[in-house]
Amino acid sequence: MSTYLLVIVVLLPMLAGALIPIIPFKTRTQMMIYIEGAVLLNSVLVISMLLMPPEGTLVLFRFTGNLSISFRLDGLGTVFAAVVSLLWPLATLYSFEYMKHEGHEKVFFMFYVITFGVTLGIALAEDILTMYFFYEMLTLVTLPLIMHTLSKEAIMASRTYLYYSLGGAAFAFIGMIFILTYGTTSVFVPGGVLDAARLGDKTNLILLIYVLCFCGFSVKAAMWPFSSWLPKAGVAPTPVTALLHAVAVVKAGAFTIMRVTYYSFGTDLLRGTWAQYTVMALVIFTIVYGCSRALKETHIKRRLAWSTVSNLSYILFGVTLMTPLGLVGALSHLVFHAVMKICSFFCAGAVIYKTGRNYVHELDGFGRKMPVVFVVFTVSGFALMGVPGLCGFISKWNLAKAAVASHNPLAYAGVAALLISALLTAIYMMTISVRAFFPGRDFDYGKLRGVEDPNWMMLLPLILFVIAMFAFGLHPQPVIAALESVAALMG
Amino acid sequence: MDYLLLLPVFLPSLAGLYMLAASFWGHVTAGSLEKQQEEGKRKRIHLLTAVVLVCSAILALCAAWSGDRSVTLFYLMKDIPVYFHVDGVGRLFVTFVSIVWVAVGFYSFVYMEHEGEEERFFGLYLLVYGILVALDFAGNLVTMYLFYELMTLASMPMVLHNGSKEAIMAALKYLFYSMCGAYLGLFGIFFLYQHCTTLTFTAGGTLNAALAAGNRGILLAAVCAMLIGFGAKAGMFPLHAWLPTAHPVAPSPASAVLSGIIVKSGVLAMIRVVYYIVGPDFLRGTWVQTVWMSLSLLTVFMGSLLAFREPVFKKRLAYSTVSQISYILFGLSLLTAGGVEGALLHTVYHAFIKSALFLTAGAFIFQYGKTRVEELGGIGKQMPKTLLSYTFAALALIGIPPASGFISKWCLAQGALGADVGMFRWLGPVVLLISALLTAGYLLPVTMKGFFPGKDAAAESSVRKERLGMWLPLAVLAGLSLLLGVFPNSLISYVSRIAGTLM
Amino acid sequence: MAFVQNLPFISIILSLFSGPLSSILGGKKAKWVNAGVITVIGGMSALVLSYVVSTGEEYVYRMGHFPAPWGNEIRVGVLEAVMALFFCIIMLLCILGGIRERENEIEDTKQNLYYIMVDLLLCSLLALIYTNDLFTAYVFVEINTISACGLIMIRQNGRTLEAATRYMIMSLLGSGLLMLGICFLYDLTGHLLMSNIKEQVALLRTSGGYHIPLLVSVVLMSVGLAIKSALFPFHSWLPDAYGYSTVSSAAILSSLVSKGYIFLLVKIFYRVIGFDMVRDSKVINVLFVFGIVGMIMGSVSAIRESSIRRMIAYSSVAQIGYIYMGFGLGTTEGMVASLYHVISHAATKALLFVAASGLTDTAADSTDFKDLTGAGYRNKLAGVAFTVGALSMVGIPMFSGFISKLLFAQASVGVDSMKRMLPTLIALAISTILNAVYFMKTVIRLYTPVRRVKRDGIVFTQVKMKENRAKSFALVCFIALNLFLGLFSEPIVMLIRNGLEMFA
Repeated sequence: MSTYLLVIVVLLPMLAGALIPIIPFKTRTQMMIYIEGAVLLNSVLVISMLLMPPEGTLVLFRFTGNLSISFRLDGLGTVFAAVVSLLWPLATLYSFEYMKHEGHEKVFFMFYVITFGVTLGIALAEDILTMYFFYEMLTLVTLPLIMHTLSKEAIMASRTYLYYSLGGAAFAFIGMIFILTYGTTSVFVPGGVLDAARLGDKTNLILLIYVLCFCGFSVKAAMWPFSSWLPKAGVAPTPVTALLHAVAVVKAGAFTIMRVTYYSFGTDLLRGTWAQYTVMALVIFTIVYGCSRALKETHIKRRLAWSTVSNLSYILFGVTLMTPLGLVGALSHLVFHAVMKICSFFCAGAVIYKTGRNYVHELDGFGRKMPVVFVVFTVSGFALMGVPGLCGFISKWNLAKAAVASHNPLAYAGVAALLISALLTAIYMMTISVRAFFPGRDFDYGKLRGVEDPNWMMLLPLILFVIAMFAFGLHPQPVIAALESVAALMG
Repeated sequence: MDYLLLLPVFLPSLAGLYMLAASFWGHVTAGSLEKQQEEGKRKRIHLLTAVVLVCSAILALCAAWSGDRSVTLFYLMKDIPVYFHVDGVGRLFVTFVSIVWVAVGFYSFVYMEHEGEEERFFGLYLLVYGILVALDFAGNLVTMYLFYELMTLASMPMVLHNGSKEAIMAALKYLFYSMCGAYLGLFGIFFLYQHCTTLTFTAGGTLNAALAAGNRGILLAAVCAMLIGFGAKAGMFPLHAWLPTAHPVAPSPASAVLSGIIVKSGVLAMIRVVYYIVGPDFLRGTWVQTVWMSLSLLTVFMGSLLAFREPVFKKRLAYSTVSQISYILFGLSLLTAGGVEGALLHTVYHAFIKSALFLTAGAFIFQYGKTRVEELGGIGKQMPKTLLSYTFAALALIGIPPASGFISKWCLAQGALGADVGMFRWLGPVVLLISALLTAGYLLPVTMKGFFPGKDAAAESSVRKERLGMWLPLAVLAGLSLLLGVFPNSLISYVSRIAGTLM
Repeated sequence: MAFVQNLPFISIILSLFSGPLSSILGGKKAKWVNAGVITVIGGMSALVLSYVVSTGEEYVYRMGHFPAPWGNEIRVGVLEAVMALFFCIIMLLCILGGIRERENEIEDTKQNLYYIMVDLLLCSLLALIYTNDLFTAYVFVEINTISACGLIMIRQNGRTLEAATRYMIMSLLGSGLLMLGICFLYDLTGHLLMSNIKEQVALLRTSGGYHIPLLVSVVLMSVGLAIKSALFPFHSWLPDAYGYSTVSSAAILSSLVSKGYIFLLVKIFYRVIGFDMVRDSKVINVLFVFGIVGMIMGSVSAIRESSIRRMIAYSSVAQIGYIYMGFGLGTTEGMVASLYHVISHAATKALLFVAASGLTDTAADSTDFKDLTGAGYRNKLAGVAFTVGALSMVGIPMFSGFISKLLFAQASVGVDSMKRMLPTLIALAISTILNAVYFMKTVIRLYTPVRRVKRDGIVFTQVKMKENRAKSFALVCFIALNLFLGLFSEPIVMLIRNGLEMFA
């Protein structure tokens, strides 16, 4: 397949999105068809491209000297692109219904669609500059989505988001400069590109830079102490919180960290150094910290956001193991967590959409009134807890397997953290489900008159996610094998 | 490939799920039924439950007692199948689980009349049975873990059945303690996976000696975590606190099976881990064994003491469970054939006895709504059959010969004396003895007060007829606990054969 | 001698004489003369640039063919031509962008005075760029100061008078120090012509004599010019001067005047003292430290500001800090980065000032942030332009600021000593964050819709692109320029590198 497709799938959504406010749609349905069509077309293009991968590089544009914007498809990018492009059409479908009551739809969908392209840009970036470029773009195009409601809270949240993200990028920038200076090439190569000869006795310096760079990119992945923007950003409409703050944006952070760790700095250099221990300690702390905050939080979307904080650090934990197995674990959680979290967010969104209730204690007795939503929510809760048979268990298993195999004492602590977090997850997810299904003996269901499941546009994605969770949980082998083949290159 | 093993797993599970869905759907559509329709519906539910229960129990026993069967369902991961296999321990467990489950099931047909939500209850009841059978048949550690978790999740709604605030909190407590335990177990599984040749259960253990030698410290820690973790389900200190909270609020049949059967899955998990994966040799003489023994003895003593002080009848029984299960754990922790023998015997006996005791408590609640021990004066006049069964079961638990408890305790004490475990050799039997005294102290007063209330006790005005559906299962269980004590030989020889293969 | 070689001289003379010419013309005509002159000079600079690039050599132009010390020399290389071209472009756009404000804020009778000042300013800038004579440079530094003062003062309100006075005092202090430094050098070497001085300095250096006086003179000149270009902590005059003068003045002052001094300093480093000498002296350490502190402190002050104009002014302090930090790295790469930043910052800062004026148009010229809430909707083009400028300042790829940041960072990584590398990198990162804080805060505010139409008597109005075509044109050009610098920086960086080679 032609390499031009690489850039088409990045630019098509941007163009399609930019056109939304310009095209004079006669009815809302027309707009919906246009948007869904564009997104679906792009997803189909991406998937067909992934199935018949194009060989070689496409240089779109040259900055200065050897710095260029160029695209190439490789294993890691395939995984991320696949996740993104499978989820985007579903999330779009969901948002048609959801956004009915939010207003400013055109602006919303414009940026929503553009973000698709930018995220794919990160996935398909061939070199570190391209990735950095799209990383910054991602910050900017998602900003209006957080600001969407334009309430005071939303403005404050978007500011926090912006400061954190741009600040993180500033530190990631330092890492990029070092790769450009000390690397043999700026292109991503499995195993890293650092030139030992040029490096000389600067090993400690480069480790310090790695830590800075890791912290910089981890802002998007909401690692402690850079995590507080994520729960605040929960003021955005739910499709945004679900897709961007559980999948696209935050996973872009994790993805970039994978890139710099495994493809730029190289794990051989980092393994066993203080740099590895530093970042791993931060990540392990975040795993527990995120869950504890989730436990304290009674606002349902913020609770899920804190849960995301913790789960993203699962992924980062896999990355910091710096072994191929660790990468498999990280990638599997990247894929599976996307499904689980987007699912639970959509359930929360359905509740907010139908009833406007935001707090956990307001959901008593909803189980009977919104049966599908809450059954799905419970299943996604089980998956997040890591109940065997659902996909969360598989990724947890892979992570722990890698951690134990790495023979790293800190990684053992990480395994413990994973399980503590699983327990806390059980607590904060199950309390919601139990209250929803068993509100107490004297509960008056009359109070919940009018509460009911949403229509098919919202339910279809939910059902598909549940099927996916079971499918991945019971028969994960194809996915895991694919991820293993990606990680095998790290050797 | 032997799909007969799957039948007793899937038949009750699917039936249970169907009933659950039907119950849930009924609530969602919220159509109210006429009184008559309601009665018809109850009948249908009972009939369905009874048929499925009996059929699957028979299937389970057939599957268990017809040779070494095994079946691989599918591969969860590349090297980890969901794999079922029948072996000695599984066979033993499946047998007593099935018997108790059927008996308690019949009891519940009557009992659940006043609790309501029967469709949901019996749905769960069947579902948990399927899961338990699967748990007993599980052929490797991950399969076992899978059903262990599912069991927790499925049995949790049984605890909160009556829907009161208290029950919900208790159910959550149960859930979180169990989850905590399960995750501690999982922690160990991760390490064992790395250091074992296979996770398939093999008598004597599958530890990869070369790998294990280098990582002894972390492996021991992992095993210790697993013991404490699975100990949560078995009510072992320090994760025992859910038990006295959850059992009393659950409907009595539910507490009967929780106390008699589900806590035993913790025991099963420990047996599997220690004797089938790690191997007793690896643990013998290590600090882990010491910790395990100390914890179990502490729990034995503490449980009895708390039971002794407890005025609420069901809670007293729950504490008694805490104490009694740790008898079993103590036996297991000895890591000798004798210890295992005693432990397995006590497992079986305790299942029958404790279910019988809880059913008694349920009967009191059902008939007269009496929950506290001091209210039970003179109950023997009103419910003689029930109280008589209770007395037999209580005697068995205390360990008065020839009732069954005596045999198992004798084996345990002998095992302890014969094991090379330092001061625990004498400390164990002493604690067991003290605890037996305490057991007598907290169980027998009910009988005595019940039959001989004394002069000043007010006579109960209304005497209600004892229900056949309730006392018969109770009597069967009590009778079994007595009979197995009088004719214990075949059981003992079977158990000692199992124990022999493990060493 | 090719005719083209005359053009630098002609352009200086042209701008010099257009000033007196304007004094007898009315405001309108002066404006056109001024715009015409700048355009013509820009065209000439472009021709010179293409000539120099094609020959690949610099050339010396002796006025009246007298040899030194009697004659006066102009020296033209690639870098000079590039600077002249950019200064013309930016000045033209600044003038266009602020027409309406000037007409409103300046008394009718004084309109032509303004253009006189601008012409003189251009003349002095060109002279600073081209001259090969230290004393000539000094003279034009003073002319520059005076005309800049005029530009500040011509909008008459109390604040500008005060600001102009402050500016005057600080500037004269700087000029004085510069003067002293030049005197020292003259004493030591007996020359005023840059190339001659350099030969003598090289001799002195090998002989080892007069080490300390030489050092003192370098310090005096550096500090003098640093004060004039508002390096932290000598920036106290700046916020008022930029904040209250008329828009085009502020834009010209921030983007061109200070850059002229900086360029002079570069020339002194390369052409008079020799860069090796400068590197070996401790002067660059001082510049480095002040540069870094300025980067941070400027931004911190900007965060605290509540007026958009003053915020942009403080941001200049930070950006000047970048440039001096680049000097302080002591490598050619650092110098390239600094010079690129001179250009990129000039373009961006002018853009910001003009865009800000477009935004304040919507709220009756109130520069308070509270009045600018939602201004991005009221004046769409200005909003977009400001956003572009802000993104460039933060260093988002695609915009010119990113390339500067990239060059600075690469230069710092190229430095051998860790003592410079890490502080530079960290300072860059922190400064990026701070920039993000105040610029993006402003952008978000611009796009926060507001329901009410007035606040404290200030009525919010819609401004359409058509209403002020000159400004719209300027803004569009600025945006294009910024994108050009951000996307096609390669040739410009090459030119700067060539130019520096010619310098050395």
